[in-house]
Amino acid sequence: MSDAAQMPAMPRLPMAGTRPYPPAQSSFTSAFWCGLDEGRFMATHCTACDRLSFPPKPFCPHCWHRSVQWRAIEPRGVVYSATTIHAAPKVFGAEAPYQVGIIDLRAGLRIATRLLGNTPTARLLDREVELAVLAYEDGPLFAARLIDPL
Amino acid sequence: MSAASSSEPACSSNPERRGNLMSRQVTIVGAAGIPCGRVQTAPGLDLQVLEHEVLAACVLEAVGQAGVGKESIDAMVLCHPRPYTQQLYFGTFMANYLRLPSNGVVMEVVGNGMTGGLAFDQAAQMIETGRADVALALGVNFETAICSAEHMNRSMRATGDVAFHTPFGFTPISWYAMDAMRYMHETGATRAEIASVAVKNRRHAALNPLAQYRELVTLEEVLAQRPIVEPFGLYEVPPRSDGAACIVLASEDAARALGKPYARVIGRGFHHEGAHQISEVPTDMIAFNAAVRAGGQAYRAAGLQADDIDVAELYAPCTIVEVLVSEALGLTPRGRGAAQAAAGETALGGRIPICTSGGLIARGHPPFITPLYSYLELFEQLTRRAGARQVPEAAIAMAACELGNYNAALVHILEAAA
Repeated sequence: MSDAAQMPAMPRLPMAGTRPYPPAQSSFTSAFWCGLDEGRFMATHCTACDRLSFPPKPFCPHCWHRSVQWRAIEPRGVVYSATTIHAAPKVFGAEAPYQVGIIDLRAGLRIATRLLGNTPTARLLDREVELAVLAYEDGPLFAARLIDPL
Repeated sequence: MSAASSSEPACSSNPERRGNLMSRQVTIVGAAGIPCGRVQTAPGLDLQVLEHEVLAACVLEAVGQAGVGKESIDAMVLCHPRPYTQQLYFGTFMANYLRLPSNGVVMEVVGNGMTGGLAFDQAAQMIETGRADVALALGVNFETAICSAEHMNRSMRATGDVAFHTPFGFTPISWYAMDAMRYMHETGATRAEIASVAVKNRRHAALNPLAQYRELVTLEEVLAQRPIVEPFGLYEVPPRSDGAACIVLASEDAARALGKPYARVIGRGFHHEGAHQISEVPTDMIAFNAAVRAGGQAYRAAGLQADDIDVAELYAPCTIVEVLVSEALGLTPRGRGAAQAAAGETALGGRIPICTSGGLIARGHPPFITPLYSYLELFEQLTRRAGARQVPEAAIAMAACELGNYNAALVHILEAAA
């Protein structure tokens, strides 16, 4: 986590109400959510093979070593693909339509998350995004938004 | 047909196809299913449609059509039913309901949309290893009495990691929608070209008595449907469907003894890429690499290549999936699948008819048994029972099904035998 200080801080966006589907946490993954609440996006890094993994795991899925450490990674990347969901599961019904996307982070990890803003979906691909903390009343989630929405 | 296969009158003599000396050739000798559609009764109604009554009727029809005796059946591989099914321990219950003792196996399998394929594959292994001379792959999927928003509240938990993806509101088909967005972005394929797959599949379904949506639609109608998940409207995503089907598999000796046309399994491939919907290592998501690998295995096992295939049933919940898996299996060129579909190359009468049943979009999609309907369709094609959908001279057929966003693929190649 020594490199956390060099990372751009994630913007923190206050959100009304509680998370529609709060993520299950373990004693291990709770470190991710605590870090997120403080503006850090953390992945697990394998000290044996030097590879990152996300979602974070208490072992390295690439080489199966148990020697992993938390590492704050740059919360920036590029949209690989995106869509707008109109027909939503019941718990997300009030938010529909909403955008989700696949983000290739600069650190070399591919994640999937909610997208913020109102850019037409087809114009999101290959655009640069930053990750933001969505500060709900019951805890944090994260989302991506265009760095330059124009 | 390739030179390799046409030079061999009886492929059971081909050691490469047999894999090893202990394995036996597997055939399909019977298949039956109910029309896909809305069959499930709402909970609480006085009179219920019971899954096991519906499935038992399929078993009797398929076994009767095959002409095999009940006593010759030695394995029953069932698709695990949906969580809405009241009867638990469904497989062992069915063994009792049918009074069917087995020396091979009685089991339920589950693997998302691949479940029906795994049931077929497991039943085939029972034949191949000699544990059964006749085996049933069967299942029933009832879910339409559960409303979509409620159903999605469950299915969203299949969309990746339940703690790190589900909280953002992904739906299973949202991954395919993102495939479509990426495909258009990279290849320049148009919305209309992708949507043409739905028009084509309705034309096929119109000729299939088992299909759920048999009315023709125009391209304009497909494009004008209410949005579900961009870029798709209602007609480019799978319908909600109930269904039930039974496939009868047999050893080649048993099949020959029946004295009727049958279908022979000549190639099989499987690959799971070790990822679920999304890989944390950036990859070419629209290459459907698992289908490339599984298809390659199946082609090698059969000694055939893509242009030997006469008809294919592909597990394709959305229009784009049919395009991408066609490309991954080499049935259409990479980046040209949508254009070729729009040009009619994958329609009945075209170069390589795909989803002559109407596919998931029009034939129907009872998810836990959907691939059984693929084998049923190909059995009908290869035994000349497909009526108005018959692909003339169909001799070699391919079935493919998947897990996740085609993170895994199971491919079978079948050939007509008499």
